[in-house]
Amino acid sequence: MNKKLLVLSLLLVAAVLMTSCGSAATQAPAVASQPPATQAPTAIPPTPAPLVLKIANTANVTTWDPVLSFSTEAAYMANVYEQLLRINPPGSAQKFTPLLAQSWDASADGLTWTFHLRQGVKFHDGETMNAAAVKKSIDAERDHAGASFIWAPVKSVDVVDDYTVKFTLSYAAPLDLIASSLYGTWIVSPKALDAVAANPKYYDSGVDGGTGPYTIQSYTPDQQIVFSRFDDYWGGWKPGQYDKVLVNIVPEATTQEQMLSGGQVDLAERIPPQDLGNFQNNPNFTVDTEPSFFNYVGFFNTLHKPLDDPKVRQALSYAIPYGDIIKIGAQGLGTQSRGPVPQGVFPWSPDVNQYTYDLAKAKQLLSDAGHPNGGFSINLTYASENDSEAAFAPLIKDSFSQIGVNVTLTPMPFNQQWELAKGDIAKQQDMFLLLYWPTYSDAGSDNLWSMFYGTGDKPPYLNATNFNLSYWKNDDYNKLLDTAIGEEVTNPTDSQAQFVKAMNLLVDQAPGVFFYDTKAAFVIPKSIAGFKYNLNYPFVYYFFYDLHPAQ
Amino acid sequence: MEIDTTVSVPQVESTRTFRHVLAVIARDPLSLASTIVIVLFVLIALFAYQVAPHPDEGAGKTNVSNTMLAPSWDHPFGTDLLGRDMLSRVIIGAQPALIVPIGVVLFAVLIGAPLGAIAGYKGGWVDEIIMRVTDLFLAFPSLLLAMAIASALGRGLDKAAIALVVSWWPWYTRLTRGVTISLKERYFVEAAQAVGVNDWVIIARHILPNTISPVLVQATVDLGTVILAMGGLAFLGLGTQPPAPDWGLMVSDGRTYILNQWWIATFPGIAIFVVVLAFNLLGDTLRDIFDPRQYR
Amino acid sequence: MRQFEFILRRILTSLFVLIGVSIMTFFISRVIPTNAAAMYIGPKARQEDIDRVTKQLGLDKPLPVQYMIYMNQLLHGDLGDSISTKRPVLVEITSRLPASLELLFSGMLLATLIGVPLGVLSARWQGKLPDTGVRAISIMGVSMPAFYLGLLLQIFLFRDLHLLPLAGRVSGDLQFTHPIQPITNFFLIDSLLTQNWIALKDVALHLVLPALTLAAYPIGLIARMTRAAMLEVLEQDYIRTARAYGIRDSVVTYLYALKNAISPTLTVIGLTFAYALTGTFFVEIIFDWPGLGLFTVRSLLAVDYPAIMGMTLLGAAGYVLINLVVDVLQAWIDPRISLK
Repeated sequence: MNKKLLVLSLLLVAAVLMTSCGSAATQAPAVASQPPATQAPTAIPPTPAPLVLKIANTANVTTWDPVLSFSTEAAYMANVYEQLLRINPPGSAQKFTPLLAQSWDASADGLTWTFHLRQGVKFHDGETMNAAAVKKSIDAERDHAGASFIWAPVKSVDVVDDYTVKFTLSYAAPLDLIASSLYGTWIVSPKALDAVAANPKYYDSGVDGGTGPYTIQSYTPDQQIVFSRFDDYWGGWKPGQYDKVLVNIVPEATTQEQMLSGGQVDLAERIPPQDLGNFQNNPNFTVDTEPSFFNYVGFFNTLHKPLDDPKVRQALSYAIPYGDIIKIGAQGLGTQSRGPVPQGVFPWSPDVNQYTYDLAKAKQLLSDAGHPNGGFSINLTYASENDSEAAFAPLIKDSFSQIGVNVTLTPMPFNQQWELAKGDIAKQQDMFLLLYWPTYSDAGSDNLWSMFYGTGDKPPYLNATNFNLSYWKNDDYNKLLDTAIGEEVTNPTDSQAQFVKAMNLLVDQAPGVFFYDTKAAFVIPKSIAGFKYNLNYPFVYYFFYDLHPAQ
Repeated sequence: MEIDTTVSVPQVESTRTFRHVLAVIARDPLSLASTIVIVLFVLIALFAYQVAPHPDEGAGKTNVSNTMLAPSWDHPFGTDLLGRDMLSRVIIGAQPALIVPIGVVLFAVLIGAPLGAIAGYKGGWVDEIIMRVTDLFLAFPSLLLAMAIASALGRGLDKAAIALVVSWWPWYTRLTRGVTISLKERYFVEAAQAVGVNDWVIIARHILPNTISPVLVQATVDLGTVILAMGGLAFLGLGTQPPAPDWGLMVSDGRTYILNQWWIATFPGIAIFVVVLAFNLLGDTLRDIFDPRQYR
Repeated sequence: MRQFEFILRRILTSLFVLIGVSIMTFFISRVIPTNAAAMYIGPKARQEDIDRVTKQLGLDKPLPVQYMIYMNQLLHGDLGDSISTKRPVLVEITSRLPASLELLFSGMLLATLIGVPLGVLSARWQGKLPDTGVRAISIMGVSMPAFYLGLLLQIFLFRDLHLLPLAGRVSGDLQFTHPIQPITNFFLIDSLLTQNWIALKDVALHLVLPALTLAAYPIGLIARMTRAAMLEVLEQDYIRTARAYGIRDSVVTYLYALKNAISPTLTVIGLTFAYALTGTFFVEIIFDWPGLGLFTVRSLLAVDYPAIMGMTLLGAAGYVLINLVVDVLQAWIDPRISLK
């Protein structure tokens, strides 16, 4: 009897093993591509083990296709791929850093841009980076990138010679800003572009076609990514830079914090803001807070009564406890916004007005608008996965209740919130909370246009981005924005002035609430040096190439 | 007249079991303590708004100046990020975490028990159909089925409750059917049949009242599990939606603050543990007296 | 012969139940949602995508036809593509299965190794202090929410005592120093087969907390059932006879009685597998364990419908199969069962 039991349990185990062997095949390629660890490049004295940087990051990978990429994987793409140029942080001596382009110039009318490419650059797959490769990449991105719309002004891309590319525009646009975008601008090996055209799953096996300092060595979904340095990188390698970068994908900030303090990782991308103090008091770490690309906006549904009345919207804008929202929602890591453009990003201006928290004024405006003591209800939706929104939304509810406006809070997954906002007007939310960031460093043609430029003849006036969720259409605002965007290259000074006018009109009409610009906080161990923050590249908190162990 | 006398027999029988149960509970200190804890928690839940020191904060009103205070005399369980009194949050959170699961089990019994009685009494194809359907439901791990249904219905306490009812009723159908089959042979049922009483009347007046004891025992045993399941759904974000309080949801929120503000997750977690423990201890005793599984 | 018939009958009923399960998931995924196509493809779909999916799923056709299409896709292993990862749901599931199974088996092994001795102890000293102690432990184990227990264990054993790793299945940098060769994708077995002792230690340490958290619930059930089965066996004639012959008490308890109490205990172990299955959901979240539970929960939160339904279907199928295996095992060990 016992023998039977033994035989059966062995059979059971064997069966389970067999089924898992079958599944092993799907994971094998990622791990099998691992090169022997002892192989050391000649420039550096041979070391027994590679120098490894360990990072915890929340960012997930939605695609490894550099053309399609339009999400958090940008954090990794930026270390594997390169653009023609990179925009520097605000306040830098030079506005741009040349990457694959060494120099560039624009015609006076802003319609022709010529880029002179760097020579001797190799893609990770051995192809040569040249004008043809650039044209092929940009053409692919204009055609089907996740962010293809950024190239809208471009009429054609032409190869002038092996290392010169000419862009012809149909209207003047700041192509340098566009070309330095984090999405839809990577220069990709022609071989990879052909391969993915033939097989859409080409990148799934953990290959890449970039020129950047690191290449993808292996990828295990939801778990980890291993990058290893590209020995032939055009920028060269100095002793002390990391050979391998191991990224642990860790969604929970608390877990990241514990991994960092427990020494399991060298860097953690997200620390719970309320725990930053733990590190501020620790001599082994420095805590660095920086402005960011992100801000929180709340859209009033101007198609619903009584939010169609600007006076009511102004009243509600006065009833937002901005200070408390920053204190609670961001743990103090934020500054009250001036319109929808985050500080540090063009065309932000200190001349744009802000609302204060003033309940008396809010009550006055409400009664002017014919709603003494409020008496209406608002359905406010926010993304349940966003902790900050979940934290500060109840503050809005409590504050509005003091002026007699009843708020129903409805947390929902962002996708459902988005679907609701684009659906039947009568069923739409009355107020929509959104964390926003521009696609590239031009919040004039992005934030101001995407979120508030209404198009079309009838409600809901959604524009091409679908982000104008106030469903607001104001001809004066649209005119100001058209002028400002048109003059960005040809007359930057007037362009800025027009943008400021547009923003002040926006703040006055209050189709939305401008809560706060977030700040990013970094906890950097003293053992790591070279950290350079660039707010223009959200999600890319570290360029691995910059970092090295402190001496 | 004859029918009336036969009715009184099972009534006596089930009262006797009930008294017996009470006597055993009263003798066992652990069971007695559990019963007291349960009654206490249910009372607190029912009168949550009267009991809570800060009922408005418990329900969600913010008080920013009190953000994340450690436990003290004023706030024995501390306060959360929005400065809300955690004791009040835990007390008011007892409603979705405790009363709703009781309701879930009640509905599951109301759906499951009659079906089981019908299946057991009628037998044949009626039995076959009902039992095959319950087999299908029982083929899923209950929580997984509840998750799938909750995600199809959308988020919310009401939807989570519906999902749990849908995945729990078949257990009572199965149990009641077993009891019914054993009752069918008993003299009072046969007597009623002999005098030509309608089947439905027999089920309603003779069978169902006699299934109450085993079903009640099973329901008590199950309540702990259902409370855990409800807490689990809330923890995953599929149950109660903020800013309403719920134990599972509070543990989930508190995870972010576990390193420095340990109290935010700790007290709601203890609340779940204590209540479930009480139900399980009581259920354990009840099962010893009266094993409902004998009918499965 | 009887045994064979019984097993055949059980397999047939299991098949029937599996078909029923497919009908249930079909209903939950295609009939309950008001806009099944939109749900299936995700909210950012354009109208033409929705139309395409409506056609592909046959949502414009009568229900029985829709079901046939659904079954046809299922039988071809087509569970659809995950909305969030864009990969086939089946690939997502199979690639995560070994991690979950390793956790599940370790947890159940731990539960058995702790639960059975506790049950024996309890039966041997029935009504005495050990019995009460075991009862308390058992009931506390089944009363503790896994998501809370995991949190507590992390705080004490990682944060305060620095004894065990916080989360994950393996240390990240192990692959640079002692990479695990994937053979079975059960890391414990792989590192054992390749005699990679450093990796084995690392994997084992990572397993302790999640497995323990997962085991808390089954430990209680197994201990209680072992106790009950032991008590029943100890009452029986041949045990009394053995005692009367003066065979030592411990031999009677551990050898004769336990051997005969195995069958009912096995049933409970089988059944608790199902509890453990849903338990892994919470354990995997708390411990960032890269398995099916984490995937399911993320899918739930992202309303990734094809993934949720794929997991539901597979979970149920797994459950049915475990029950089948347990019944068949029992019939083999204890032929009396098939007579019932």
